[in-house]
Formats: sequence, structure tokens, C-alpha cells
Amino acid sequence: MPPALAPLPDNVPRVRIACTINGESIVREAPVDCTLLTFLRDIVGLTGSKGACLEGECGSCTVLIDGTPVTSCLMLAAQADGRALTTIEGLADGNALDVLQDKFIETGAAQCGYCTPGLIMAARAVMQSNPRITEAELITALEGNICRCTGYASIIEAVRRAYRTLTP
Amino acid sequence: MTPQVTPKVPTQEPAAPAPAAPVEKPTEIPAAEPLVGTSCRRVDGPEKVTGLAMYGADLFPHAADLFAKVLRSEHAHADILAIDKTEALKVPGVLGIYTHADVAGTNLHGLIRRDHPALAHQRVRYRGDALAVVVAENERAAVAARDRIEVEYKVRPVVATMEQALAPDAPRLYPEGNVMGDKRIRRGDVDKAIADAHAVVTDIFNTQTVDHAFLDVEAGTGIWDGQMLTLNAPGQWVHEERRLIALALGVEVEQIRIIQPATGGAFGGREDISIQIYLGLAALKHPGKTIGLRYDRAESMRCRHKRHALKIEYTLAADAAGTLTAARIVVHSDEGAYASTGIAVMRKAASHATGPYRVPNVAVDVYGVHTNNNPTGAMRGFGACQMAIAYEGMMDRLAKALDMDRLLLRQRNLIVPGDAVTTGQRIENATARECLQQAIAKFNAQPYAGNEGLPPHLRRGWGMSAICFGLGYGDGFPDCSRARVELNADGGATVYTGGVEVGQGLLNTVMQIAGEELGLPFEKMHVVAADTELTDESGSSSATRQTYFTGNAVRIAASELREQILDIAGKRLRVHPHEVTLQQGWAFETADASNRISLARLHDEGLARGYSLKASALFKPRTIGEVRGTGQSPRAFITYLFGAHVSQVLVDIETGEIRVERHIAAHDVGKAINPQSVEGQIVGGVAQGLGMALMEEVVYRDGRILNAGFTDYIVPTIKDLPPVEAIIVEHDDAGGPFGAHGVGEPPLIGAVPAILAAIQDATGCAVHTLPVTPERMWQLLQVKSGKPMPLPMPMPT
Repeated sequence: MPPALAPLPDNVPRVRIACTINGESIVREAPVDCTLLTFLRDIVGLTGSKGACLEGECGSCTVLIDGTPVTSCLMLAAQADGRALTTIEGLADGNALDVLQDKFIETGAAQCGYCTPGLIMAARAVMQSNPRITEAELITALEGNICRCTGYASIIEAVRRAYRTLTP
Repeated sequence: MTPQVTPKVPTQEPAAPAPAAPVEKPTEIPAAEPLVGTSCRRVDGPEKVTGLAMYGADLFPHAADLFAKVLRSEHAHADILAIDKTEALKVPGVLGIYTHADVAGTNLHGLIRRDHPALAHQRVRYRGDALAVVVAENERAAVAARDRIEVEYKVRPVVATMEQALAPDAPRLYPEGNVMGDKRIRRGDVDKAIADAHAVVTDIFNTQTVDHAFLDVEAGTGIWDGQMLTLNAPGQWVHEERRLIALALGVEVEQIRIIQPATGGAFGGREDISIQIYLGLAALKHPGKTIGLRYDRAESMRCRHKRHALKIEYTLAADAAGTLTAARIVVHSDEGAYASTGIAVMRKAASHATGPYRVPNVAVDVYGVHTNNNPTGAMRGFGACQMAIAYEGMMDRLAKALDMDRLLLRQRNLIVPGDAVTTGQRIENATARECLQQAIAKFNAQPYAGNEGLPPHLRRGWGMSAICFGLGYGDGFPDCSRARVELNADGGATVYTGGVEVGQGLLNTVMQIAGEELGLPFEKMHVVAADTELTDESGSSSATRQTYFTGNAVRIAASELREQILDIAGKRLRVHPHEVTLQQGWAFETADASNRISLARLHDEGLARGYSLKASALFKPRTIGEVRGTGQSPRAFITYLFGAHVSQVLVDIETGEIRVERHIAAHDVGKAINPQSVEGQIVGGVAQGLGMALMEEVVYRDGRILNAGFTDYIVPTIKDLPPVEAIIVEHDDAGGPFGAHGVGEPPLIGAVPAILAAIQDATGCAVHTLPVTPERMWQLLQVKSGKPMPLPMPMPT
């Protein structure tokens, strides 16, 4: 886990946050008004989760909290205290890609790649919560994530293919 | 010194084993696997799907020592009387606040005219104009100080619309007036042709201001070490940005290095300078410190240029058989506050005013009009996309006037090889007819139910479009790409290109082209891109030009390297070079594969024999400037691309909601170097076209953007897109690398008019104003029903 990065001014009230990120326990101080996304990116140094709209519309910042997908730009870091977080950095096992990551490359679902971490996390969440999904349910599960490059077809195909590895 | 982010050679698949030492004898040479035409997995895929790719905003927390923020104008049009930094400088942690007076160079930027002040001096012309750059120890202090800078304005009247700008007593943005420039096309005798015509249709189209809405908001880092100003910032043309920054800041070009980080989309939105000059200024003032600067979405939308809103007045005439005889077109283009690439957009609009149709008599007048809105400049399909909405809309109106089938009218008038487009350029690769034929065939392959079985509040319709697109800058503007290809010690090769990867797949394209030429497997290929110190200029990633231009430069360089390799192999294998085959990293005697040498060993052999094992190339084809006044040129563009779409929509006539049910897009790409990337461009372009047709619009009130965020600026989601059926048409382009030309912009251009045509087919309502939001659709239906109800907000007519 990288060290705390962005310097904080002295005069901002702080809160101590202890949580688990990708299986690793961490304790960090953060400003009380710090969002979870800013906490992850600027304080913990995990920049895989992206911020694109910062108002909960695009899903680029999606992470899992105790398995549930959240838009981390709308959540305060303090709310993550005591919780278990999974970010995009937590999916690959060393050099071995997670099946969703592999399928996203295979279908060309990552063009500019900026929406990719959020989409993979959203897809990861629904694969865990709904192992036998319909097409309509899949599309609804991903409707909170904006992609400006692909037109979504390759993304849907990537998740379909990942599902196929679940239920042979 | 703070470590810089090293330019990275994108890694291979993480799981790939390290290359083994070459074994010459016992192994079989693997069968040839062509790289051109193969969907090789994206080389930047692994880093993007794992979250390890470093975008500008990701460098920011990791690398920055100091943090910058930019103060923007509160007014769309005002004189600046004074900027008082006193209170702002008292904020703890603030290290400096810089205004135009602190800029050593011209303080101006702009891709065509240097007219846009980096930091405004005396006058602001839109609400995105920058006034000051704050540098502080942390971002909070920078924000606090920015908000305490006192600016004294003398407010001027805002020129909010083109109508206001053109009024006789309009306030002037510039001493010479509000008309930025004009562009004309003159062919034949339009007046006579219209007078003699059997059918004449006239209409007006209003296209809207569109935002690129790339996800990766402008962010990056910069450092001045006393000798070199190094900027890690995303653009679309690193070498041009270097020149513009050098002029604006008064630094030698050689003292600037620009490294493109991973980049989350561009679509034209990174063509104008954004954060680079502010990063550079802050870095120059704080030597040895890495400066971080990031916008948020609201600032990004507030300051960035937009797609031009066009008002297009179109008259189209035909004889009784439906043969087009004349077009008279007047276009007014909202250029916003500064020139940006507006002049090129006006030119593109003029030269694409009649699209892929044969029209013997044409008069086009395009006027650029300054307003206090955001500058308008590059965005995917610029100029050409708005004109396609008009000429395809007019073809449907003409078909109705002639009581003629829409498809038949198009087939009768689409250019065939050897015909000229409106600039007089004769096109040998005119394939719009075939694209349209294929799109229609695909559409007809499934039964079309029409309104059968639909509840009464739903109406179904379908429409088509055929489009053309001149590739590259054109019009005699210098347009070139350079590339270098080197054989590596392990027998692989590295491509060096100044071209910028913004998501479109350029890295794979150049690797596959070079690998194909050298007979190397994809995993032996590497690429270094968009670093002004390590790569040579390859022009911008825009104008659908990189595959054609940089692809050609890479192919020529790789071909030169191939000649060296064949030469070495011939000497080593004691055969004529023409008797050597390159395949899968081996050179062998074509007639006897056991007489062979691996390229790893050949590398050492070549060095021992004095070969350089590297080759560079410049690709600089010539276009011919259009004649001023008539717009005629035998080769305004180096080549033309063609495409055709069919769209099917379902309209809820009670709510005005529109759903695209099916969309077919056929594009002649010459040759698909990577078919998956090509399909990705086609489907993604349709998605952006759908957004432009149905939902996207930057809404201004008196120069203020009312929807500068994704809550109110609506882009298509996964629920808005139908399955898009992409048809890749391949007609070898003799001038392109392996016959390829390109695909980036045409899919958006074709999508919008096809969707609008489908709406008209479903409802009988002709669309004049974009986007067709539910409110606008509902109002069109009300007007058609003869009992229009007023809407809460005024609608442009």
C-alpha cells in the first residue's frame, strides 16, 4: 500500500479511518469532508478508481463496500470506517487477471479505459449477487456507468463472456 | 529533483513468459500469422483493466509537490480594470499568484490564429477565460486563495447568440466586428438551375452546441528543472502543443518536453491547449517542484471549446427524374469567443455541404460569427457532421416533394467513381452506394413490422443516411507523420511515433502494421508514443488521419528496416535477399526453411556488419489549397471515406420519448488493420451520434453554461443504445497502409441524420432543431396535430 501522498493543510478537522482495502488493513487520517474517492486516490494512493463527474452520474468511481457497489465520489471517507473495500486494484491475482479484466480486453471493451475500472467493479458486484442474470438485468446493473467510447456493445459482451465462465 | 514519470513501453500481457533464448535448430518455425486484419488484444489493455494505467489525474497525487488552480472570469464579456491579489496571498500555504503580467511570452495560444490569451489581459470574452494561476502547498489553499482574488470588472453587454452578434448595433467582440471569416463554394450557375428545376425544397436546420464529455477531465503535472520544462499532460498533438507553449511562455521549443499520459478520450476536445500553459507557467515560477493541476467537470466544461452550433439554410433542386441540379446553402456558425479551429471547421462545412451527392450547380456561403459563448473548435466530424444532418434531411424532403422513394433518390444521385464532390475533386474510391446497399440489405434481412401490432401511442419508423468524409487536414495545409522502427536485441521491434493514443487504438495499429511488414508476432512488438523527446512529430490524433498518415510512415519505416533485415539474412544464409522469407521472428531461405536465422541472432549479425537496424520515415502527401472564392481544388483532401446508416426508431407520441431500436452502420475503411478496433470506433461513433441526435446540448444563458455537469448534460447510457450492427466494407485505398484509410469520425456523421430520418418516418414531423429531446418531439407532434400547447421554455424554431 503506498504511503499517504497529497499534503493536507493543518487547519482542516480530521478523522481517523480504519478499514480494509483489498484485504489489507489500513489506518489513515483524512479531512472530515473527504469523499471516499478522494481518500482512495489522494490519501491512500490507489488511483485505479476514477473520478469523472464527481456527482454520482458516471460510475467511474465505483468500488465495493462489503460487496455492494457504491459511487465513492458521493460517499464520505468516514463512512468507510470499519468496512471492507474492494477496488479495481484488488481483482488481479499478481499477474493473473480476473476473468472480467481478461474479457474486457478480449472484447475490446476498454478503449480509453477511463470508465473501465468502475464498470468492472459494477459487473463484479452483479456477478456476485446475481449469478444467473437476464440480459435486461445485466443492462440495468450497468446503467449507472457511462462509457463515452465504446457504445457499450463490447462491454455487454465482456460481461456475458465472464458469466459463461461461471456457469459452464 | 523530483522523479519524472518515465515514458513507458506498454507492457505485454502480465502472464506472458520472458522471451526464451533463441534456439536455432530443433524448433519448427511457427506458421505465418498475419497481423493486419487481426484483432490483436490491445497492448494497453492490461494496464487499463487493472487500474494501473496512469492518466493525468493519477500522476497528480503521486507526483505533485505543489498545486495549482486557475481563476476564471465571472462574466462572459467585460473589461478587467484590476486584479487584486492582496487578500489571496494571505491564505496560508499560498506561494504565488500569477497573471498575464507574469507571462514572459506572447501569452497567446490558438491552433490556427494565436488569438486566445492564456491569462486574460484587459478584456474577457467568455466565462472560461482564465485570469490568474494560483500555486500553493496544497490544493485546498490554492482553491481558497483563488476565491479570494478580487477582480474589478467593467461589464460589457453579452453577445449571447449569432442573431445578437449580427444585429447592426451589436456590441463588438473585436474592433473588426463579430464576423470571424467566411468560406465560399461556387460551381456552375445556381440561379438558373433553381429557376429551371422541377422541384425545389428549402429548409433551415439548427444544430446545437455539443460537449466532448470525455471522462478523463484535464489533469497533469509539470516541472522546470532549470533546463527543461517537462509536462505530463494529455493533448492530441504533443509536438504542436510544445510549439504553442513555447510561444506563449517565452521558452525555447527545445526546452519543453511533453509526455502524454494515458488519456481517457479526446474526440477533438484536447486539440486546443488546456492545462499545459498554466502548468508550464507555474513550473517556471517554482523551479525544481512538480506542479499538479486538475480541473473538475464543471471547470472542464466551462473553459473547454465545444462543437459548433450551425444554422444551415438549405435549398435543393432537382429535375423531374429526381436528378439533383442545384444547391444553395448559407451557413452561420457560432464560433464563440476565439478562433480555435473554427476556420478549418467552416472550410470542412463548405466542402462537405452536398456530401456524397453529384450536384452540378452549388453555391455555399459559410460565415463564422463570434459570440460570448465558449470558443468552438474540434469535435469528432467537425463541420462535416452538421452538414450531413442538412443534406440528408434535404434528400428526404426532396423525395417527399417528388413523391419518390428515398433510397431510389439517393441511388440516382450518389457519386460513382470518377464523379466530383462539391470542391470539384474527382473521387476514384467512391463507395457510398455500396455502403448504402449493404446497410439496406442488412436492414431488410430482418422483418420490419412497422406500426403493426403497436399500441396507439407508439409509432415506428426507419431512415437512412449516406455520407462522405475528406480525411486529413486537407486544403494544402501541411500534414505529415514521421515514424521510426528499430530492431531490438531480442529480435522484436519497437515503433516510435509522436502520435497520441487517446483510446482509439493507435498503438495497436502501428504495432500491427510494423509487425506485418517485419514478419514478427504481435508479442514481439513494442511501441513508444507521444513523447517529444523520444518520438518524432506525427501530427494530431484528429481528422481521422492517424491510421492513414502515421500508419503510412510506420509502414515505410518498417519496410526500410525489412530491406536491411533481408540484406543481412541474404548474406548470412548465402542466398539472394529476394529468396528470404520473414516469418514469426525468423528469416529463412524461402525454398529451404532449415536454412534460417532468428531475428535475435540476425540483430547481432547486422550490428557486426555495420547495419543501423533502424529506419525512419516521413509521410507527407500533398493536398492542394482550395481556390479562394470558389472553393474548388483538384485534391482538397488526400482521400475520401464513405459510409451509410440505417436506423429504426420507436416514438411515444404521448410523451415524445424516442427509442432507437436498431441501427446499422456500414463504413468503407479501406482495410481494417484491427477489425475489433474498427468496430469499436463504429459502434462508439453511433453512440455519440445518438447522443447528438436525441439528448446532448450545452445550454447557455447570456454566455453562462447552465448544464456544466453530467447531472444536466445528458450522454447516452447503456440503456439508450440498441445493438449496433457494424458492417466493415473494405475497398483497398491505394494510398493507405495495406489499403487502410481510417474510420474515426464518419460513424458519428452518419448516425445523426439516419436517426432524424427515422423520427420523421415514424411521426411525419420534420426535424429542424437538435437535439430531439422528448420535450422537442412532443412539441413537434403538438404543432403537427394543429393544437400546439405552449412549453415552459422557449423553443428555437
